[in-house]
Amino acid sequence: MDICYKFSKESFLDFFKLMQSFGQVHAPVRVSEQSFSFRPVEKPEQIAFEALRTILPPKKMFFPQRETLISYSGKEVKDHTPEPLAQVLFGVHPCDLAGLGIMDNIFSAGPPDSHYLARRQATLVVGLSCMPDKHCFCNSMGTDFPHSAYDIFLTDIGEDYYLQIATTLGEKLFDPKPDFIKTIDDQDNQSYKDFWTNRDKAFTSNFKSDNLKQIFDLEKDNPVWEELGKRCLSCGNCTPVCPTCYCFDVIDVASLDGNSGSREREWDSCQFTGFAKVSGDFNFRPGPVDRLKFWYRHKLHGFDDSYGLKTCVGCGRCTVSCPADIDDIVGVVLRLQASQNESKKDESA
Amino acid sequence: MSTNQPLPRIAVHSLTGCAGELLVILENLDKLLPFVHVTSFPFAQGKNEIRPVDITFVEGSVSQPHDLEKLTELRANTRWLVAVGNCAVWGCVQRAGCNHCSVQKMIDAVYGTNSPIEALPAAPLDHYVPVDVKLSGCPIDATQFLAVTANLLRDHLPYVTHKPVCLECKLKENGCVLIEKNLPCLGPVTAAGCGALCPSVGAACYGCWGPCEEPQMEAMATILSEKGYQLDEVLGRLQAFGAPKELFVRLEKS
Repeated sequence: MDICYKFSKESFLDFFKLMQSFGQVHAPVRVSEQSFSFRPVEKPEQIAFEALRTILPPKKMFFPQRETLISYSGKEVKDHTPEPLAQVLFGVHPCDLAGLGIMDNIFSAGPPDSHYLARRQATLVVGLSCMPDKHCFCNSMGTDFPHSAYDIFLTDIGEDYYLQIATTLGEKLFDPKPDFIKTIDDQDNQSYKDFWTNRDKAFTSNFKSDNLKQIFDLEKDNPVWEELGKRCLSCGNCTPVCPTCYCFDVIDVASLDGNSGSREREWDSCQFTGFAKVSGDFNFRPGPVDRLKFWYRHKLHGFDDSYGLKTCVGCGRCTVSCPADIDDIVGVVLRLQASQNESKKDESA
Repeated sequence: MSTNQPLPRIAVHSLTGCAGELLVILENLDKLLPFVHVTSFPFAQGKNEIRPVDITFVEGSVSQPHDLEKLTELRANTRWLVAVGNCAVWGCVQRAGCNHCSVQKMIDAVYGTNSPIEALPAAPLDHYVPVDVKLSGCPIDATQFLAVTANLLRDHLPYVTHKPVCLECKLKENGCVLIEKNLPCLGPVTAAGCGALCPSVGAACYGCWGPCEEPQMEAMATILSEKGYQLDEVLGRLQAFGAPKELFVRLEKS
């Protein structure tokens, strides 16, 4: 059970200073007319509170785009597990918290990823409520409410922020309790409920997700896939922007002296033709259709393993980042579901 | 490395090109010199011998008979032949031009009829000789060049990325110029390595590193034509840097 308080939006600077007392604050910053990015900030004015989705999701804070794993010099091998400074990640919306939760599970499953975990453990995560735009479908994926992966969560209840503290890391920040932090009453609890009720009503695009697994199994040869595959650029934009895509490439970098070098890892994408290429020049996902279908299936059906975890959190990043407009997940799922309903009708006729 | 061992020998040569690659290699020569002996590099030194070497870097396309003679001789004298730069790997703008008209017509138009100038249809090195490593670029990236050299000095075939520019662009967290500005960006079909140079400053990628691995040319043309770019303009952009005609067969039929 979270500990709950509130504070006035006018006191946000006090809250910001409190976050700074923990470590460097990272928050969404506007980087172009349409885009935002989690960047280090020094004052509240730099924060884009209106940001719904950043170009890259929070995973980059813990699993950076490129990093050194080990390096060697002569016979000495150096481990590059980071010793990160404490930091704050502010402004994480419920879908991204869900994504973070999935990444936490994946990177802590054995063998645990020491690089990811070191950065993750040094980070205080502050969530923030949001109102959906036309691309948000977290309500369909069950990721529309903060469940875990946050230390502190702020809900916008008008003049105040309703403050939830979920972890001891979060609790410590408010000990002793600063003056700007106020106790809540029934009215505040009502405002909190009202916010989330109104938020639920604001979704414009969604689908029923209870039959997703079935849909992806039964509609694997649906003509939709060929149609999308023909438009697919195999540019891979959909995967770096996904909060739960974790695939990487490992590259050994030699130095000219022949006596030293490093092993780097860099984000990779299942949408590239080389990703599933194996020896003998065989490729088990040779065409854009195969790769796109594979990605959709992983996100909305899950791998055929014992976890069977659906990894889509409904943030809409792929939808807005696809130059070919084929990552319209809501539209595709609705079309596949419509085909299912058609075939059911045929059976009963 | 034992100090008694002679240093590995390298050669650096140019066929028909702009010398951009030679400049990048020259700029980074001080990093190489402790580890290699430069047997020939006519652009940079006076004394040049043609003799067996370990690595030969060749820039430029084969566009004249004497290019071909030189290339054949260099190939015969090297263990590793590295094509450096778009001209050597794809044929670059020379090849794009030659793809459109006959060589004799071009010679007549530029030098007049009965000129002693001889020319071949511009082609990349691997049209004539086996090439061990292809390092594209316009010009090449110094870091990639040094990494390729470091690997070859240890007799390792180097890894050269053929993933698209979009990957490097997204990893830099740039706003997408294709989506946000409707610019005719060729990042999705162009090989990475430049660090998404043009999109990082808000400009469209014009494909100067040549195609990525299995570029989706038809999809690219579809998306650009939906943005209002005419097919011949799109084809012109896609083919400007020597991408082979085979990649466009289906597109030109449509």
